[in-house]
Amino acid sequence: MSAVEVAARPATGGVGVPFRFLRSELSLIARRRRNQAGLAVLAAVPIVIAIAVKVASPTSAGGGEGAPQFLSSISGNGLFVALAALALEIQLFLPIAVAALAGDAVAGEANVGTLRYLLTVPVHRTRLLAVKYAGIVAGAFIATATVAGTGLVAGLVLFGGGDVTLLSGTTIGMGEGLLRLLAICLYLTACLAALGAVGLFVSTLTEQPMGATIAIVMVNMLSWILGVIPQIDWLHPYLLTHWWENFGDLLRDPVAWDPVRHGLLSAAAYIVIFLSAAWARFGARDVTS
Amino acid sequence: MPVMNSRPALRWLVPAAAVAVVVGGGAAVGTLAATAEPSLPPRTAQQLLVDLQTARLDGLSGTVVQSADLGLPNLPSLAGGGSGTADITSLLTDTNQLRVWYSGPDKTRVALMGTLGETDVIRNGKDLWLWSSKENKAVHRTISDADTKAHPLPSDLPMTPQEAADRALAAVDPTTEVTVGRSATIAGRDAYELVLAPRDKASLVGEVRIAIDAAEHVPLRLEVFPKGSDQTAFQIAFTQVDFARPDDAQFRFNPPPGAQVDESTGLPEAAKPDTAPKTPEDAGFTTVGEGWTTVAVVEGGEDGEAGQEGDQAAQVLSMLTPVSGAWGSGHLLSGRLFSVLLSDDGTVYAGLVAPERLYEVALEHK
Repeated sequence: MSAVEVAARPATGGVGVPFRFLRSELSLIARRRRNQAGLAVLAAVPIVIAIAVKVASPTSAGGGEGAPQFLSSISGNGLFVALAALALEIQLFLPIAVAALAGDAVAGEANVGTLRYLLTVPVHRTRLLAVKYAGIVAGAFIATATVAGTGLVAGLVLFGGGDVTLLSGTTIGMGEGLLRLLAICLYLTACLAALGAVGLFVSTLTEQPMGATIAIVMVNMLSWILGVIPQIDWLHPYLLTHWWENFGDLLRDPVAWDPVRHGLLSAAAYIVIFLSAAWARFGARDVTS
Repeated sequence: MPVMNSRPALRWLVPAAAVAVVVGGGAAVGTLAATAEPSLPPRTAQQLLVDLQTARLDGLSGTVVQSADLGLPNLPSLAGGGSGTADITSLLTDTNQLRVWYSGPDKTRVALMGTLGETDVIRNGKDLWLWSSKENKAVHRTISDADTKAHPLPSDLPMTPQEAADRALAAVDPTTEVTVGRSATIAGRDAYELVLAPRDKASLVGEVRIAIDAAEHVPLRLEVFPKGSDQTAFQIAFTQVDFARPDDAQFRFNPPPGAQVDESTGLPEAAKPDTAPKTPEDAGFTTVGEGWTTVAVVEGGEDGEAGQEGDQAAQVLSMLTPVSGAWGSGHLLSGRLFSVLLSDDGTVYAGLVAPERLYEVALEHK
């Protein structure tokens, strides 16, 4: 049985125990002060965007060269605050959040010496890894949803709702707009889950959570940097972050599913490879602390 | 798995297998798609030309990937946007994804997909729209009947497709060798390939390959290879195509509320050719040679290029290679497919030829 299979069905086995384990892991993540602070920073960005656009004179609302995406559309519909915030944060802030969670997941436990206690209770290592990964993915979704949700609320308060203009220039109702925003959150969660799988593997390599987190962030940055060097464009489709910005394809009319499907396949490939690597490493490792 | 518990190193076989499956699976799909040569009944080049002529296209929608590697230096005015901007000028320099919808000549839509942006050109009946999501701006133009009549049909239309193909072949034959290449699979469809190669070896163009759908007779891919290279300089191909007539809703465009709408009377910027709309003779336009090695000569010396445009021109000029010879001196823009020579007296020489040929023409012209 591979770690992936377990991750796909973490609730098998005893009915109560895995859920209890997952619940305790989630509440552990949620109770950590650093996680709460990080979430607050993530939520601050859309609020800053919304206020900045509101305060600026309406004539300067257009997006100049190099201005963040979606900025010019914000004054028309508050929904775009959420999209602008997601477009901004997906490059660094959201990956940092995932990296911090992943660094904590195994290396953090090892560092404070709680990992071996976790393993003395009758929990299989594979299940432990599965629960840790489920925690990371849940954290990634909560982080993404927080950015989108805060942006939505701030945008609706300051600019109001109404029909949403898609990238193709067609307009859809607010309800469908919200549905597409949710789809974007799920897509970005899948993208971040791929980074989380890499992170979980890195986390099993070390007992220093800080080192693991920095390494994961560097993997993310490296992927973005390689992605903008045109001389190696043959490599681009295989990069971890290559398909992330294709969440915009969900905002076309009709939706361009091809890039989205590629993005999900790429994420699945990363998840399979790095989760199985994490499983191999973690199962074989001597846990001494 | 007790074996793996007693021999932990064996566990690494699992991720190794995962890598093998993912990489191998991806590569297998890629090579299968690339090398599978469908077996199609043989057709001559002439028959393929007839096919092209008789193709009756009701409707089509699909995704197109276009890439250009013209080997040009990075000019500031060309490379300004980069690939993510959905800017029309990026068509010259980059790889681009486009989505196209076609439902008759008066109902077409092309969407240039950028990262988080889109530029659309939509023609629906008399309405022509250019939409840019980045600028949140739409340009509208009504096509009058006069415009449609401005392109009168040639009077001596060939009577049958066969005749048309014969004429086409006769027209290209003196300069071009037309052959049938290997058949290919493009966007999941079987296609014949028509290969056009210039007979005049002085041309920088090696060959032009056109893949034609075996069933619908519509071109699915066009590749231009420079001489002596197997890397395309220009390529445009469907990656996905559907020959069902797209829904009429695809062509309906209403400018979204809040967007800037420009009512334009002239041709929209995208459709406007770069050169001034004059008769060729007025603009000092002549050609030297014929066929693939034609060199276009444009007499310069216009005062119009002052101000901002002049500054930009000077900036572009400074990026080009300065050259001189018996013909005088000037600047050279040399790519894999074509060369452009801007002499210091303002004359421009351009053609699908090596720079040396331009120098010869410039010497004769002097």
